[in-house]
Amino acid sequence: MTSLDQVKAAAGPAAGSTPPARRGPAPTAPRGAGPPVPRRVRNRRGGRWWTPWLFLAPALILFLYFKFIPMASALTMSFQEVQPYLGNRWVGGENYATVLSSDGFREAAWHTVVLAVGQTAGSMLLGLTLALLMEGQGRRLGFVRSAAFLPVVVPIAVVAELWRIMYHPTEDGMLNSLLGLVGFGPSGFINDPDTSMVSIMLTGIWRGAPYDMMIFLAGLAGVDRGLYEAAKVDGASRFQRIRHVTLPGLRAVLTILFILAAIRGLRVFTEVFLLTNGGPDGSTEVVMTVIYKLGLEQNRLGVGAAGAVLLFLATLLLTVGVHLFRRRGNE
Amino acid sequence: MQRTRWIGAGFLASALALTSCTSGPAGADAKQDSKAELELWTRTTPGGPGEKATLRLVEGFEKATGHKVKVTAIFDDFETKLQQRAAQRQLPDIVMNDVTQLGAMNSQGLLREIDLSKIKNSQDLVEQGLNSGKSVDGKQYGIPYSAQAGALLVRKDWREKLKLEAPRTWDELAALATAFTTRDPDGNGKQDTYGLAAPLSTKRGYASWYFSNFLWAAGGDFITEAGQGTYKPSMTSKESTEAMRWFRALGCDDKVVQPGAVTMDTPPTNETFEAGRTGMFVVGPYLMSRFDKSLGKDKYEVVPMPKGPKDATVLAEGGSVYLMAGSENRAGQDAFAGYAISAEGQRLGMEGVDGSTVQLPVNKTVDVTEVRPDPRWKTYADVYRSSGRYAPSIPNWTPVRQTTAETVNALMADCSLDLGEKLRELDTKLAGILQEQGIAG
Repeated sequence: MTSLDQVKAAAGPAAGSTPPARRGPAPTAPRGAGPPVPRRVRNRRGGRWWTPWLFLAPALILFLYFKFIPMASALTMSFQEVQPYLGNRWVGGENYATVLSSDGFREAAWHTVVLAVGQTAGSMLLGLTLALLMEGQGRRLGFVRSAAFLPVVVPIAVVAELWRIMYHPTEDGMLNSLLGLVGFGPSGFINDPDTSMVSIMLTGIWRGAPYDMMIFLAGLAGVDRGLYEAAKVDGASRFQRIRHVTLPGLRAVLTILFILAAIRGLRVFTEVFLLTNGGPDGSTEVVMTVIYKLGLEQNRLGVGAAGAVLLFLATLLLTVGVHLFRRRGNE
Repeated sequence: MQRTRWIGAGFLASALALTSCTSGPAGADAKQDSKAELELWTRTTPGGPGEKATLRLVEGFEKATGHKVKVTAIFDDFETKLQQRAAQRQLPDIVMNDVTQLGAMNSQGLLREIDLSKIKNSQDLVEQGLNSGKSVDGKQYGIPYSAQAGALLVRKDWREKLKLEAPRTWDELAALATAFTTRDPDGNGKQDTYGLAAPLSTKRGYASWYFSNFLWAAGGDFITEAGQGTYKPSMTSKESTEAMRWFRALGCDDKVVQPGAVTMDTPPTNETFEAGRTGMFVVGPYLMSRFDKSLGKDKYEVVPMPKGPKDATVLAEGGSVYLMAGSENRAGQDAFAGYAISAEGQRLGMEGVDGSTVQLPVNKTVDVTEVRPDPRWKTYADVYRSSGRYAPSIPNWTPVRQTTAETVNALMADCSLDLGEKLRELDTKLAGILQEQGIAG
């Protein structure tokens, strides 16, 4: 059969409009003649090549207008000096040079990595611990779980204000009075360049851990109970059961959480912006705050776009990297 | 089949139509129509008292001149939204926004030059106000309609309890701040009060904004004019260094600045003053109505900033009327600017209990006490006229403010940093910024 014949055959009834009555006899008819199976499939599912695209069109057009075109124009903007009224001026890689050579960008990139690693590791560890503690069916557990999930639901602006109060840098501050009980002097927390980073990280973990916990809980439900029992019979300790049964069972969950948390970590902005805005002494400056300052506060949209493109590339690299790593691990 | 094809064609057509929307005709030299409705954007909270006050002003303008105006209030992302309009080449006719936006809007080509001879009452403008509307090349691009300047708020009850005078020099200011910090002025038996409230976060350059009141009074400067519209950095000058050293001592040695200042912008700083944790605060007049309610009018007083090593210069700010490029009703634009600064417009702008468009009048013939009998307003008006100084209208002031804010923030947060070295670094950065803006001297 030539390809032209195939097209003709497919051009007959389009998948969407075929009445069920006509479909009925089709499977039995051509049996025995030629290679019937692929043709049959084509007849039933085929139709014009663009039929599936037509069904996808509403979604694709929305994506086109709200995702792809803005992304493409951001990419173009990153090579331009943006002045909408006078007309944008092409400047080549100048915006990228401005971002990369800007004061403190490299430091900010380092801070972002530190913060991302710390928050990701902290939230996952705490999330897993919480999930292991709260696994089960009890009604009270449901209540406790909801209570633990609360930080995720609270708006970040409220979270920041809450932590600002807790981090009050004098002896009568909330956390400082607790530290005072165990004999540690008042800490400056977010107000001291030495402790500001850790403080922001702590806030991030507090907010991120319950989210991770929920996903872990869902993952834990999928771990075969029988394996636990088998391990128990074999004399495995509680820790060994977690190490050799739970963690391998959560592999997929761990990967997805890692990617999500790492992306969240790289894009970290709101907590930092609200708590310290990169200060004191630039000790908590992250990539997003630098981009915000260069691009939006100074109204240099081209520079801001260049920064955003760089961040996007970093995120893309990370995601692809994790995928490759995981695939290799699977082989 | 036929129908799906049409649907597909429809999608394609609408997609093309949407795309073509983004490139409209340019409106640089629009055809003039003195009857056209003017579109006015003001940077204030939509639905808030600021918008109502603007509507009152506009109503007066419509009655007086017969022009029609449509008011749009925008607060968040005002500049971004303006950029979007610029991209569509359909700017509003009039924008009422901060004076410091002049350089940025002008360098983007959004403003049209103003011919002062066409603006009624422009001869009555306060001189430094008029100058704040000029760009570095001396051309007029903005007409201020409202001004404000900082004055010192002092907890009167605390001061009287400790039997001290209101400060008139920097030494007295430091002494009073120390007394407020160490001598338990609220009498609760705890050391939980501080002399001076200061928002020293880097957010929107607050640290620099607040410090300018001290820097200029000491005779220092962020950048100084080097002739012919050029500037050079001057944070390492003797005066600037001295100002920074003195201000830093308040936080590092005397410890009279509220703890946590380096991560606070204005809202939490206002709270420290309201909650009785700080005793002095340099702010503009707009906060009085808030503090009258939350703290009580009898608890605090407003005095001019104490004299520094040079004088008592404070930061002047305010709002300007900008006439946007591409308007089809330039006569209407001119008329609005003229009305906003007229005696009638200024009085109308000052009215209103909660919100007003005019803080301090910029028209020399208008006395603030005509509308606001409260003598504290008089203090503010006097401070503005005698000691108010605006930030220079360089193409983009924001990076200068941001960078200086970062250094002030760093020096206040870490008392072990070397002051001279930090200021030298700052000067290098400032030189780079001036270079980039093409105004390095």
